[in-house]
Amino acid sequence: MQRPAHSNPPPAHSPPLHHPVPQHVSTVPQLRSPPPPVPQSQPQNTYGYSQQQQQGGGPGGGGGQGGYIHPAFGGIMSDPTAQMGFQVGKSAIMAGQEYMEQNLNRYVNVSALKHYFNVSNSYVVNKLYIVLVPWWHRPWSRQQRLSNNGQDGYYLPPREDINSPDMYIPMMALVTYILLSTLLAGLRGAFHPELLGLTATTAFAVVLLEILGLKLGTYLLSISSESQLLDLVAYSGYKFVGIILTLFLSEIVNRTRLGTGGGGTGGWFGWCVFLYVFSANAFFLLRSLRYVLLPDTSPNTGSAAASYTVARSQRNRRTQFLFIYSYVVQFVFMWLLSRQSADPKIGKA
Amino acid sequence: MGFFGLGGLVYVSVLLVNAIAILSEDRFLARIGWTNASDPGFGGGQDNGSVKAKMVNLVASVRTLMRIPLIIINTLIIFYELILG
Repeated sequence: MQRPAHSNPPPAHSPPLHHPVPQHVSTVPQLRSPPPPVPQSQPQNTYGYSQQQQQGGGPGGGGGQGGYIHPAFGGIMSDPTAQMGFQVGKSAIMAGQEYMEQNLNRYVNVSALKHYFNVSNSYVVNKLYIVLVPWWHRPWSRQQRLSNNGQDGYYLPPREDINSPDMYIPMMALVTYILLSTLLAGLRGAFHPELLGLTATTAFAVVLLEILGLKLGTYLLSISSESQLLDLVAYSGYKFVGIILTLFLSEIVNRTRLGTGGGGTGGWFGWCVFLYVFSANAFFLLRSLRYVLLPDTSPNTGSAAASYTVARSQRNRRTQFLFIYSYVVQFVFMWLLSRQSADPKIGKA
Repeated sequence: MGFFGLGGLVYVSVLLVNAIAILSEDRFLARIGWTNASDPGFGGGQDNGSVKAKMVNLVASVRTLMRIPLIIINTLIIFYELILG
């Protein structure tokens, strides 16, 4: 609108340039959090805000926040309509978040999940060390702490207790396993895009089958397990750490030696690493699941009555089940997950 | 479907549950002794603690629960296989 027409030949002297003069102060709101207000007023403010929110007034809630926002954003937005629009948008976002949280809390127990992700760096390093070298770890029991309001004890989060299972390592290990096995397939030239989804569904199916087998075993043997489902999912996710190690090491060795073909568990080095990792994982599971599946070894958590009704044959059967689960089942599943498709490069020549 | 894709797993599980559901109760299971027809003059509860009793309970409950959903699932799979190859 303000440019000169381009069809005319350029004049000899430059025409007066019309720079567009900004009419609106349309600055992008800087993405920094507002400075925290005086601490005494903050809980009352948010409490009052949520009260107004539940009574259902978007502008009302925004107006309630008006006195709180003004000193922080006064310098940025001087336009009152933009400010009002910002407040309405913010209250709408808050309402949407609260709605989503309420609905999500019905399906997924979010607070229980948060307990599993409460890890620290030293915990992750120590836990990885325990998973891979479990022979020298001495106390295997999870620590409890009686809470103050009369409920029975709850377990310490993974940040404070090295024996507590977490979901961070298994989830990271699962994703790494999927990416690594797809990467290795790509290096061998056997990559197709469905491989990602295939590996993911295979891994999920393995975890699902394990949990089903464990639940079936606890039902058939009348083991009343007090541990949650996510504990078992976490324990069955620890074997991905070992599988990653197997795949990675055998791939490196098989690349630099140019001898035996095939990664995964082909070649004797891959088998050695796999057997070591498998035995480490089985030992780790044996020690950890002993406190889950054999509850008569726990002394004084109110199970004194239950320990008398457990016969000796049942205890033997439970121990057998634990052994079979830790060794045989894990062997089958770990071998399944370490498999890789055939190398198409070997078929040529 | 891939080699071990989820579709194969679904097929296998549906076939297994079908196999559990079509066993004849009085001709086969009673012969083996896998029913729960205990003596009414027992006096107390049944023997619900042993592994075999739990298995029997599990089989019986799977049969009674999954009869009708299995009809629906089987019909769906038949349609899928016939029409969509």
